Amino acid sequence: MNGRPRQKLLWLILITVIVAIPFVAGSYVVGVMCFVAIFGGLALGMGLLLEQAGMFSLAHPTWFGLGGYVSGILAVRGIAPPWLGSIFGAVFVGIISYIIGAPLLRLKGYYLACATFGLLLIVEITMGQLGTLTGGNEGLMGIPPLSVGGLVLETDVHYYYLSWVLCLGCLWFLYNLMDSRMGRAIKSFNDSEVAARSMGINVPWYKLKVFILTAVMASMIGSVYTFYLRFTQPSIFGFPLLVELVTMIIIGGGKTLYGPLLGAFVVMWLREAIHLSLGGLLPRMSAQVDALFFGLIIIVILIFMPGGLSGWIDRFLYFGRQVFGRTDG
Amino acid sequence: MTLFSQIIQYAISGITSGSIYAVIGICWSLVYLITKVLNFTTGEFVMLGGMLTWGFRGAGFGLVPSVLFAITCTILISMILERIAIRPVRFPSEMTYMMITIAAASVIKGVVLLGWGSETRTIPAFFGTEVIHLFGATMTSQILCVLGLLVIVTLGLSLFLNRTLFGKALRASAINVTGASLMGIDISRFRFFCFGLAGGLGAITGIVITPITFTGYEVGMLTGLKGLVAAIVGGWTMTGTMVAALMLGLFEGFGAGFISAGLKDVFSLLVMILFLIFRTMDLALWRGSVMR
Amino acid sequence: MAERTDDILLHVRGLSKHFGGIKAVDEVTCAIKNRSIISMIGPNGAGKSTFINVVSGIYSPDAGKVYFQGEEITGVPAYEIAAKGIGRTFQLEELFGSLSVLENVMVGCHTGGRSDVLACGLSLPSARSEERRVRGEAMECLKEVGLEQRAHDPISRLPLGERKLVGVARALGMKPRLLMLDEPAGGRAAHEVEKLVRLIYTLRDQGITVFIVEHNMPFVMSLSERVIVLDEGRKIAEGTPDEVRTSEEVIKAYLGEEV
Repeated sequence: MNGRPRQKLLWLILITVIVAIPFVAGSYVVGVMCFVAIFGGLALGMGLLLEQAGMFSLAHPTWFGLGGYVSGILAVRGIAPPWLGSIFGAVFVGIISYIIGAPLLRLKGYYLACATFGLLLIVEITMGQLGTLTGGNEGLMGIPPLSVGGLVLETDVHYYYLSWVLCLGCLWFLYNLMDSRMGRAIKSFNDSEVAARSMGINVPWYKLKVFILTAVMASMIGSVYTFYLRFTQPSIFGFPLLVELVTMIIIGGGKTLYGPLLGAFVVMWLREAIHLSLGGLLPRMSAQVDALFFGLIIIVILIFMPGGLSGWIDRFLYFGRQVFGRTDG
Repeated sequence: MTLFSQIIQYAISGITSGSIYAVIGICWSLVYLITKVLNFTTGEFVMLGGMLTWGFRGAGFGLVPSVLFAITCTILISMILERIAIRPVRFPSEMTYMMITIAAASVIKGVVLLGWGSETRTIPAFFGTEVIHLFGATMTSQILCVLGLLVIVTLGLSLFLNRTLFGKALRASAINVTGASLMGIDISRFRFFCFGLAGGLGAITGIVITPITFTGYEVGMLTGLKGLVAAIVGGWTMTGTMVAALMLGLFEGFGAGFISAGLKDVFSLLVMILFLIFRTMDLALWRGSVMR
Repeated sequence: MAERTDDILLHVRGLSKHFGGIKAVDEVTCAIKNRSIISMIGPNGAGKSTFINVVSGIYSPDAGKVYFQGEEITGVPAYEIAAKGIGRTFQLEELFGSLSVLENVMVGCHTGGRSDVLACGLSLPSARSEERRVRGEAMECLKEVGLEQRAHDPISRLPLGERKLVGVARALGMKPRLLMLDEPAGGRAAHEVEKLVRLIYTLRDQGITVFIVEHNMPFVMSLSERVIVLDEGRKIAEGTPDEVRTSEEVIKAYLGEEV
C-alpha cells in the first residue's frame, strides 16, 4: 500500500529514465534495453499468471510465438499490413487461448504445468513442420517492418520506444487491474478458491479471463518482436525462452508486479556480461547455452533467495517503515 | 512392402519405443511416488547414458567398460543433483521442485552441448547388426535387447520392492511419509537412493536405445516427457505405466508410419493433454460437485 | 402456528449427498422461516458442514431439492447462489491471506460490483467510483462486527476470534437474506461469545435470517428459535431448544445407547 504520490513519483522517474536513454547511451545499450522491454513485458504477464493467480501455465512463450507468426505470415504474404496483422494475431491468440484454456485450466498445479509444457512443444514442432506456411524450422524471412500511417519503424530506437510503450502500458494496466475488484478476486481465488466461489466469484471464468488477457498481451509483444527482427522461427519461442522467462520471474520475485520486469533487466544484462566474458572461452554461444546459466541461476535463487530481488526490496522497505514510522496510504 | 509387413514394422518400432517409455515412466514414478518430486532431469539421464558411453568409447575404452562408466557417472550425477538442488530447498512444493529440475535439465543439456557439440552420436549395437526378418519386416538384435531390458527391469524392481526389506520400506514411505519417518525411516536417504536408482535405470535405457535411435544433447527432453505421459496415464503404477507406455509407443509408431513422421512427438504430447483433460472431466462427473 | 409458504426463506427437501459409500447428508428435509435464528447441531461427522456446503452450492446434491425465496437453487453453482443472497462463513475461516482485513470484506461485496477487466485495467471513472462505494460498504460491514479499527491490518495479525468476525463481515458484504455460520463460536472465550450473540440478534432485527451450525450448546440453546439435529447425515429431531434438549433420540445420539 504505497502512498499515491510516491507511486506517481516512481512512475515519473521510470518514464524519464526510459525516454532519456537513447539520448545518452549508444545503440548497443538501446538494443539491449529494447529486449528488456520485450521480454520484461512477457515476464510481467507470466509472473502475474504464476504468482498472483496461481496458474502454472508454461504456455506463455507459445502465445508470444503465435502472435509473431500470424502477423508475420500475414505481412509477408501481403494480406495485411503489420499493424493490422498484429491485431489479427491478438484476436487469433485470444480465440485459441479461450478454446484451450477452458478445459485446461481445470487442471491442478503441476498437471497444468505439464499440459501447457506439452502445448508449448506441440506448437513449436508444428510450426516447424508446416513448411510452406511458416517457412519451417529455418523460419519465416523477409518480414516487412512495422509501419503506421506513413511512418515506417526501422531503427532500433523506434522499436525501443514502441516496446517500452507496450511494456509500461501492460505494467500500468496490470497494476490497475490488481488494485481493483478484479485484482481482489484473483488474489482471493489464489488464497482460497472455495471462499472465493462463495463470495460470488465465478472462479473458472475469471481464471480464463486472466489467461486470455495475458496471452493477448504476449501476442502483441510477439508481433512487435517479429517486426523488429524481420524474422521469426520456432526455436525462438521454445524451451530456452521458457527457461529465460522463469529466470526473470524468479530473480525479480513474483510476489510483486514489477518484479519480473526488474528480473528481465538483470537477466538481459547478465546475458550480455556472460557473452562478453565467456564468449571467447566457450566453443559456442546460443540460446541453449544461455539456458545453462539461467538454469544455474534458477537453482541458486530458489534455494537461497526464494523471494527474488523484489522480495528483498520489499523486506527492506518494510524494515524501513518499521524503523522510521508508518506512512499510511 | 505389403500392408501387413508395414503394420508389423510399425508395431515393432512402436513396441521398442514403448518399452523405452515404460522404463522411463517407471523412473518418473519411483522418484515421484517416494519423494513427491516431479523430476524433469529423468530424460537427461537417458541422454547422458548414451552420450557418456559414446564419450568413453571415444576416449579409447571398450564397449562394456564405457557402459559401466556411463551408468556410474549418471548415478553419481543424479545423486549430486539430489544433494545440492533438492535437499536444500527450504519451502518444498511440487512446483518448486519442478522448476528446479527443469533448470537442472537445462544445465545438463547445456554442459553436454558445450562439451560435445550438437551432432548426433551413436554407439555400436551390442550383438552386431545382423538383420532379423519377421513377416517381411526387419529388425535388429538390439531391439530384442530393449525388450529384454524391459523384462529384466520390471521383474527386478518387482522382486526388490516386494521381497526385500528395503524395498518394502520404500513402498511404505510412498504411501505414508509421516508414518514411515515415525518408524525410524530416513526419508532423505531414501530420496537419495531413489534418485540414484532412477539415474541408473535412465542411463541403461539410454544406452540400450542409442544404437537404434542415436543420441544427442536434445534427445532427453522429449523422450523423458513421453515417459512422464506414460506414468501419468498409467496412474503412477508399474503395470499401468507399462501398459500406457506400450500403447503410447504403438500409437506413435503407427502415427509416424501412416500419417507423418515429423509429427510423431506431437501425437504423444496430444495424448497427454487429452488424457489430463478427460481425467478431470471424469472426476467432476462422478463426484458430482466442485467444478462446474 | 400456520406456516405460510411465502414466509419460508429456505426450503430443503430430501437432500442427500454421498462421498463414495458414505452418506454425509441423508434425505434431510427442513424449512427455515424468514427473519429467524435457526441452529443445526449434531455429533461430530453428522454432516452439518456438508449441509451448508450443499445449500451454498459448493457441492451439488445427489438427490433432493433446495428452494430459496421460492426459487429452486438445486445444483446451482456457488457463485450464483451467493448473488441470490445466501452468505456463509467457514469453520476454518478461509480468509484471504494476501489481502488486508478491509480488502477481505470488499471481496464479500464483489457481487455488488460490475467493473470488468477493461474497466479495471484502464482505471475508468466508473471503476474508480464503484471502488470508492464498495470501500464504504465494506467499512460499514466491519463496523457492524466492531472491527473497523483493524481495517488495514494483514490477516495474519488477527487472533482467532477476530478472524472469525472478519469472516462474518465478509459474508455481510453480500447483503445476504440468509446468513449461514459454520461454527462461529468454536473455541472462543465467554465474552466473545456474548458479543457474537448480540451481533446475531442485531442482524436478525435487520431482517437477516441466521442459520448456525454449532457445537457450543449453551450458545445454541440460548439463541435459537428452532433447532435441527443431525446424526450420521439424517435429521433425527427438530423443534424448540427445550423440545430438542429433552428428546430421546438426541440424547441417544450424543451419549450413545447407554442412557
